[in-house]
Amino acid sequence: MRKTTITYAALAALYAASIVPAAAQDKAPIKIGTALDFTTVYTFVTAEYSQGQRDYAALINARGGILGHPIEISVVDTGNQPQRGIAAYERFKEEGAVLCDFLSTPVSRAVVPRALADGMNVITMFHGRSDAADGKVFPTIFPMTPAYWSQATSIIKYIDDQEKGDLKGKKIALVMIDSPFGREPLPVFQELAKRLGYEFQSFPYPSPGNEQSAAWTQVRRFKPDWTILWGAGGGQSVSVRDAIGNGIATDHLASVIWISETDTNIIGADQTKGLLRFEGVAYGKTLPAIEAIEEQVVAKGKGAGPADKVGGTYYNIGAASIALVAEGARIALNKEGEPLTPAKLKNGLESIKDFTGEGLLPPVTITADDHQGGGRGRIDAWDGSKWVPKSQWAAAYQDIVWDLIHKSAEEFKASGK
Amino acid sequence: MFYRLAGIRHTSYAADRALWPAPVDRVQIAALLLFALAAPFLLPNLYLTSYLLPWIIWSTAALGLNLLMGWAGQIHLGYAAVMAIGAYGAIHLVRAGVPFEIAIILGGLLSAAIGLVFGFAALRVKGLYLAISTLAMQYLVDWIISHVPAISGGSQATLQAPAFRVFGIPIADDRARYYVALAICLMVTAFLLNVGRTSFGRALAAVREKDFAAAVIGVNPYRYKLLAFWCSSLLGGVAGAVLAFCYYRAVTPEQFDLDVSIQAVAMVIVGGMASVIGSYLGAALVLLAPIVLNNLVGALAHALGLPLSADVLSHIPLILYGGLIIGFLLIEPLGLAKVYDNLRNYFLVWPFRHARR
Repeated sequence: MRKTTITYAALAALYAASIVPAAAQDKAPIKIGTALDFTTVYTFVTAEYSQGQRDYAALINARGGILGHPIEISVVDTGNQPQRGIAAYERFKEEGAVLCDFLSTPVSRAVVPRALADGMNVITMFHGRSDAADGKVFPTIFPMTPAYWSQATSIIKYIDDQEKGDLKGKKIALVMIDSPFGREPLPVFQELAKRLGYEFQSFPYPSPGNEQSAAWTQVRRFKPDWTILWGAGGGQSVSVRDAIGNGIATDHLASVIWISETDTNIIGADQTKGLLRFEGVAYGKTLPAIEAIEEQVVAKGKGAGPADKVGGTYYNIGAASIALVAEGARIALNKEGEPLTPAKLKNGLESIKDFTGEGLLPPVTITADDHQGGGRGRIDAWDGSKWVPKSQWAAAYQDIVWDLIHKSAEEFKASGK
Repeated sequence: MFYRLAGIRHTSYAADRALWPAPVDRVQIAALLLFALAAPFLLPNLYLTSYLLPWIIWSTAALGLNLLMGWAGQIHLGYAAVMAIGAYGAIHLVRAGVPFEIAIILGGLLSAAIGLVFGFAALRVKGLYLAISTLAMQYLVDWIISHVPAISGGSQATLQAPAFRVFGIPIADDRARYYVALAICLMVTAFLLNVGRTSFGRALAAVREKDFAAAVIGVNPYRYKLLAFWCSSLLGGVAGAVLAFCYYRAVTPEQFDLDVSIQAVAMVIVGGMASVIGSYLGAALVLLAPIVLNNLVGALAHALGLPLSADVLSHIPLILYGGLIIGFLLIEPLGLAKVYDNLRNYFLVWPFRHARR
């Protein structure tokens, strides 16, 4: 026992000694800690997401930083294990990070109580607790992007528009992974079924979704007019393949945000033509922000990963996350001066108004009450080689979403007492 | 030389039966205990909260599983489910107003009751078959927790651990949480150190070696197999509750999934069956090695300026970690406890190769 203690003390000392001081800059760096899951569950998104984050940070630094402060992102792997996320979180805190990112629902959930107690900012782009949009209950947790409930309303809004506002008697099927994440949008679809008069039924498939044929034969019997997919990772391509195999037209098949060009290319770029999905961050290379990254970062050989991933779905989400944080930090430094603390950054993020991140985002406005940022998104379709927007950036039925957010946040508040 | 055993003669039965007959062991244990008690004041908060605290809690859990696997020879692949029952039970009880001290025991008893039901499988099947039937427990409990909102806590499936007091003292900061976890860990450790010397422990050993031989010598294998499941589930439930209250401060179903069960089994096997120190060492290796390796690899790559992608960097520690586990088991199949024992035996007679018995 003593031997191990000594070994760990030695290892710890070795590590402490080996941390290299930040690159010399005229002003102190703004430290962001990202503890992501590169190896276990979120592998489908993490590498590209992290590449986008680091490339966008490199772009800001190439432009002279935020009022002279460079952004410094440290990256570690958590393997989706909460205890490793907590260890990483404590280390980030020690190193003086002003904001952390975990890109994993289990890890974020485990860290939320600590972050709230410590006043540390945590961004949870498109994952984590949906009710964290309630800034009064979760002052330092920032989803900044449409919650799953908002994604559900946006998809229904799109379907409603396609059916010219008449959903009476139409059948909508939800095929979802049988987990808390999969069941999360159910109340939204049920409430909207009451309002709009469509017939709704859900078809769960067991986690992790490698085998879904049982659910899809039932879907086939139900004969839906529209089918919505709610899953992530490897299960998504299985869903789309099974849907096509069961005769569901891809242009009447819409997915939650977690489907990307990687999935469509796996299934077959041509077979998936027309596939719809929710989009919260713009896709593609033709956005001013991504063009700037290509010119100032990638072309100079400073890219954090393979150049062909630049502009991809998850890459752009990563880039957008740092764009929002940088904007918050800029406002905070302008308003409250140096040094940047987690509390100042929180106020800065809550002052973001109509920020679009040079084309990456819909207009995002974050307030002390609304950490969702407005809930705007759009639907886009796969055209065989890229994702093409089918609707304008808009938020839909936010009253339902906020009812759910408030109700769930109240439950959270009550559970901590 | 280091152990200085010459001239030690036990003159009473009590001295001969002591847990640590050699004075040097007693000094070691006392030093470790002192360090454990003083750790919150010696270690930076980072090491206390993210290394030492999870380590002692996981050691508690590994000890509980080791009672079943090591002492009683029954495998359990659903230990995380047992811990989950204790964690959810205790949190719901504290929220309902039951004092923490009682809730944690009741949570443990709830785990013990449900664990016992699955223990009945052990009366009929052994080895791999038992592994599969306990695996069923893992899936069943996972499914029930995530499908019953009243247990898991609504659509977000997270329950926060409420604020709690122990004997009237509010447990609000990391030091206090550490001491609560340490106290429970010490109690469990003391129980397991002594269990081998009780009739209960000897009966378990008899059942482990051959159940029908045990029956021949008058040990009822049904009774002792069930008792082993009951006891081990009780300890697992308590460890789960401590994990939820003192470390995670919230429970979600993912914290107790199949991976965690496998990690617990790995802790026991890598650490050493039927060994207290092995449980500690196993927990340290399985729990902390990935974190430490990750930090080391990251720091090395940074220091040497290696242009490796984050993707590659995060897979290297996995390879090393797998290598470590295989390596340890190849060198010493009896686990880390045996490695420690070999070292100790070497130094016991050093500078000689062996001593006359």
